[in-house]
Amino acid sequence: MQATFRALTDSLVPSTRRIGYESPINITDMGVHEYLIYGLDHYIAIQEQLHHITLPLAYPTAIMLDEAATQLVNTGRAQASPQIQFPGGGMFSRLSREDRIQTLSALENLAFDLYLLPSPFQNNGGLIKHVIDALNRFAMFGYYSEWPAYGTTRLYPPDDRRLEFFPWGWQQVGYPGVSLGYRDFRGMLIEYEEVKAKEVD
Amino acid sequence: MKTDPDVIVIGAGGGGPVIAKELGELGIRVLVLEAGPWYGNKNWPNPNENRGEEKESSNPNDLDGALYRKQITRLENDMNDFVSGKFRWGSADRRRGPWYRNIPDPTILWQTAGIGGGTIHYYANSLRAFPHAIDNEWPINYADLIPYYEKVEKTLPVEFAPTTSKEALFYYAAEQSGFSLNKTLDVTSSGYRPQPNAILPPNEHLMDPNYSMEEISHMEGCTLSGHCGQGCPYGPTYEKMAKRSTNVSYVPLAMKTGNVTFRPNTFVTKVLTENDVKRGKRAVGIQVRDTWTGETEELRAKVVVMAAGCIETPRLWLNSELPHNPWVGRGLTNHYMDMVTGTFDEETLTEIIGSPSINPFVGHTSGARLDYPGLGMIENIGESPGISAQTLFAFSEYGYNSLGESNQEMWESRGRLVGSELEEAMKGYRRTLTLSVITDDEVQFHNRVELDPHVKDEHGAIPLVHYTPSEKSKMRREQLVKIATDMLRKAGAKEIHRSDLPPNYYIHLQSTMRMGYVVDTSCEAYQVERLYIADNSADYNSLGGPNPTLTTQALATRTAEHLANKYF
Amino acid sequence: MSIDADVILIGAGAGGAVVAKELGELGVKVTVLEAGPWYGNKQWKEPNQHRGSVSSSNPSDLDVNLLRHQYNRQENTMNDVVSGRFRFGPADRRQSVWYRNIPEHGMAWQASGVGGSTQHYWANSPRAFASAVDDWPISYSELIPYYEKVEHTLPVQFAPTTSKEELFYYGAEKAGWSLIDTLNPTSPGYRPQPNAILPPNERLMDPNTSLHQLSHMEGCTLAGHCINGCPYGPSVDKVAKRSTNVSYIPLALKTGNVEIRPNTFTTKILTENHPEEGVKAIGVKFRDTWTGEVGELYGKAIVMAAGSIENPRLWLNSDLPSNEWVGRGLTNNYWDWMTGVFDEKDLMRILGNQNVNPFVGHTSAARLDYPGLGSIQPSGLSPGLTSFLTFGFSQSGYASKLKQSPDVPWDLQGRVVGNELKEWMDSYRNTLSFLILTDDQPNKRDGVTVDPFVKDEHGAAPVIQYTPSKQDTKKRNELAKITADILRKAGAKKIIRTDWPANLFAHILTTMRMGFVVDTNCEAYQVKRLFIADSSVEPNSGGGVNPTLTAQALATRTAEKLAKKYFS
Repeated sequence: MQATFRALTDSLVPSTRRIGYESPINITDMGVHEYLIYGLDHYIAIQEQLHHITLPLAYPTAIMLDEAATQLVNTGRAQASPQIQFPGGGMFSRLSREDRIQTLSALENLAFDLYLLPSPFQNNGGLIKHVIDALNRFAMFGYYSEWPAYGTTRLYPPDDRRLEFFPWGWQQVGYPGVSLGYRDFRGMLIEYEEVKAKEVD
Repeated sequence: MKTDPDVIVIGAGGGGPVIAKELGELGIRVLVLEAGPWYGNKNWPNPNENRGEEKESSNPNDLDGALYRKQITRLENDMNDFVSGKFRWGSADRRRGPWYRNIPDPTILWQTAGIGGGTIHYYANSLRAFPHAIDNEWPINYADLIPYYEKVEKTLPVEFAPTTSKEALFYYAAEQSGFSLNKTLDVTSSGYRPQPNAILPPNEHLMDPNYSMEEISHMEGCTLSGHCGQGCPYGPTYEKMAKRSTNVSYVPLAMKTGNVTFRPNTFVTKVLTENDVKRGKRAVGIQVRDTWTGETEELRAKVVVMAAGCIETPRLWLNSELPHNPWVGRGLTNHYMDMVTGTFDEETLTEIIGSPSINPFVGHTSGARLDYPGLGMIENIGESPGISAQTLFAFSEYGYNSLGESNQEMWESRGRLVGSELEEAMKGYRRTLTLSVITDDEVQFHNRVELDPHVKDEHGAIPLVHYTPSEKSKMRREQLVKIATDMLRKAGAKEIHRSDLPPNYYIHLQSTMRMGYVVDTSCEAYQVERLYIADNSADYNSLGGPNPTLTTQALATRTAEHLANKYF
Repeated sequence: MSIDADVILIGAGAGGAVVAKELGELGVKVTVLEAGPWYGNKQWKEPNQHRGSVSSSNPSDLDVNLLRHQYNRQENTMNDVVSGRFRFGPADRRQSVWYRNIPEHGMAWQASGVGGSTQHYWANSPRAFASAVDDWPISYSELIPYYEKVEHTLPVQFAPTTSKEELFYYGAEKAGWSLIDTLNPTSPGYRPQPNAILPPNERLMDPNTSLHQLSHMEGCTLAGHCINGCPYGPSVDKVAKRSTNVSYIPLALKTGNVEIRPNTFTTKILTENHPEEGVKAIGVKFRDTWTGEVGELYGKAIVMAAGSIENPRLWLNSDLPSNEWVGRGLTNNYWDWMTGVFDEKDLMRILGNQNVNPFVGHTSAARLDYPGLGSIQPSGLSPGLTSFLTFGFSQSGYASKLKQSPDVPWDLQGRVVGNELKEWMDSYRNTLSFLILTDDQPNKRDGVTVDPFVKDEHGAAPVIQYTPSKQDTKKRNELAKITADILRKAGAKKIIRTDWPANLFAHILTTMRMGFVVDTNCEAYQVKRLFIADSSVEPNSGGGVNPTLTAQALATRTAEKLAKKYFS
């Protein structure tokens, strides 16, 4: 499962290895795949009789990606390579970046045999679309927000996470981070009193 | 409260605290129940970690600006992570999952539980509805609303946004596209203007280098710090925070009346009714569940006000098995939004705004707008990087840019950007101007909140939400996107990206319990006496495009008056 | 509210297809929702493997070669109740069948798909007995023009004689019955079965024409296995057995006003409370059986033609107004089955050949009508179906363990297994079997309710309860005796009465009866603009005859009334 999610984030967010980023936590994608796994595993909380269940979605999502990739390969829509990059990963992680995106796109368009997907995705087009979209968003929010900078505490319960360094995603795009304020006041184009006065006329 | 309140208000978001304050000032005793936590109240020093010793708070002295500042970290993930952020839609305890909604489509649903509700992370855009969308549409007139708009504008207060770089560029772009400045609060023709925002004007010392930012952030007035969406804890005291979320505006005012009690961490699961032989069904109370302990309780009052939002209000109606009305939960509008982002080069920017970057993170998150009655509106948005990446480049009904048709006439890229494309786009972050397209979307019966037939959570059957725009709404969005694209192009943008957002983007939710269908003109339910609604759900339509909060607050002010006259 | 079609029709089986065609011809736009697959349509080349298109409205999509490929006539592939193409379940045969809770041993033999159960029906199309219709709120003479229209459209013809019919006519004569040469029997007698099967091609007996050629020409080839689907003919609309997917559906498509959407399970009828009309139907909610996606469609009128189980289930799951007769009064013709084995010598003498070959000719091509009791019909099935229906499905337990009372005119009653089964089946080609249809009377305790505990993806599952009355049992015994007598007189050496359990549901009718749930126009009393058009509206079991023709005649009439009331 970890390998499949690594292959996923590798295809979605910029490769930190390629641009020479040395993460203090030494993970190629800054651990964004773990962010996805955490998010998916805490996404759906429901009640079944006495049990309040948080439905773990990460594992079935990984199976879904591998199954979809397998279907693409079997129908000649994608090409599998031997496993090198993501040891332990399934079919999804053996595809090229482009084919992984192709897989997500095909899933989103339900261009698959949905029966072969694991529960709760089996024949559940709405949930598939919803989750595939969420994978994209989670990956980007995980990468560009301060989450990776929680470093060794990043997988702690939310209230126990602590920023350990300046978020690299912010640094990369030039976001100064939380600010107290900016001296960029260029005046008021109009003011309420002015408009109200005009209206009274 | 030791005895039954006169009125129970469900939800302390955009509308609930307003009606509570208004009723409290009339001497009516109000209990407000809120499902989420309370930030900045001494009774809950660690609101996400434990239940606290108190159940409720009614004393303004409990409010604590320093505590609020500590809790509102303004870190985008800590605050706005949909799963575990402080501003998520879920219980105070962030170790648990959020409250599940079944939306079987690509979806962003940006709701907040907690005292202040969605106004904790809103951009404070507080404009009036377009008059044409009210007159001859709603069962009441625009003129009826004006005094209430004025009252809310004064109470919050609302002021036009100051200009920072991104607004300056926006105004330039609008002028280049042939629009002119519209100096009005009541928009009848197209034009641009600063956003009327519920944000205090910048402190007079903001530009004075003799004052440190630390000092200024403890003074009254906006510091232009950006990240409005991550919460605003800047100001001398809790009730003087610059961004006028209801938790720092109406909630303290309500508490000062001495008649209003707020109770967080309390999820209302049912509206209780009685059948009166003569007058039919009437509301007599509610059933609640403590989100920390799971304990349930019944509370009684003379009048119940639902202000739980466009999803929870109909869900509550349906889970309470109130009388059948086909329009309950129906007619959902969400302004069918889109985003267009232009990236500029340094020379162009230097020429127009005198600096080589826009720095979208500076100033009010949304400080300028273009109104276009008949189509909707366009506003600028400057979000932090994570949220920008997620909404601009990850969320699209177009699919992946790299898989799309290469022949894009209007935009350099469209849809999702991944890998190195994403990296390139984000590298230009400081030189981007993002325009949000907000459509005057039509009410459609099929757009709805209903109960999921299969799935329950601890509060009953969960809501299932469905939205697809009408052909007319699609056309309007396309026209607005063209205008936005044109503005960016005319202003000199080098690369323009269209996100092409999916229709299930929920920031503005409206009109699921429409006036004239579910509630009467005083916002009392037709079929259940003594049951009122005071949130966006009572809107008859999507207001022509304007952000819904101010109208909800004006209506809530008006509803308080009607309610008090009728029952007290 | 915007309308998706004038009429939304639920179910493309025996009745729905008729309404679609009739309304389409009157210029009314119809969308038909069918839960199962569509065989023989180019939009779904592999209807059990892939979702394919959403809908089809073009007659040129129909393809007889595809139909032939899909209707492969293998009894297990086609009629396995769990995974057959004619099961009651989603198109994807890896998915489970749709569950029905039938207490005790029972079986519901329904087919989902365009054509519904007429895909595997035997095309027996007798009119109801006039004496039974006398109890209806409309008269027999009022029905006759509609019978005639359907008989002309399908068309219906008396069945040709093959060996098994000849043997039956021989036995019936010997037993003292005479030929009744009528479509409206008023006294007992035998006759060829009025079947919706085209007459044999004139070249059938011509050895110069191969059977392969014949099977691509117009007319019945006497191929047998009607029940496993008939794909023989030059084009879809000329296929020999006149299931609605080859008769009414092509005609409906030709009107240009009908769109059919398979793989679409309707889960709810949507209503509103209209100030003048009261509760009225405005649309439906459905679920795509491939993707699980849910949608809604709106029309000016809704027609339920989902069958006698799904109609009441849909009514109940939609929370339509309470009516104590919804789902109640179920009849199923309380079937039985009886088989005789003949000596080759006798057969040689009677038929001129030494075998009956029950698999030849129309599956049921002759009948004996007995107004007041019901009817019996010689029937010939393929071996798998014969073995399980004759020897495996009984409420009498194992035949070998039963002691027969001497005054019972059959030799065995109940299940036959092991060596004995083999012995019987060895004589398969020399058997003549009879289906017994009882004139069972509607009883309020019998019917369809929804399971309080069990849900499937479409809501609470149906529970089916049927217990014949003493009177019904007596009638069935009478018919069994008559059948045994005919077999014996024809020379049968050994006779077995299977004694089928009462919960065999193939003819399923009278759960939404005219005069109780719907008015004489077949519009629901309590829900305006909601019509029902299948055998569920029949007020009784027609005197114990096959219900399809009557359902189709009523559907023709209902279409006329509906169009007149809402679209004239």
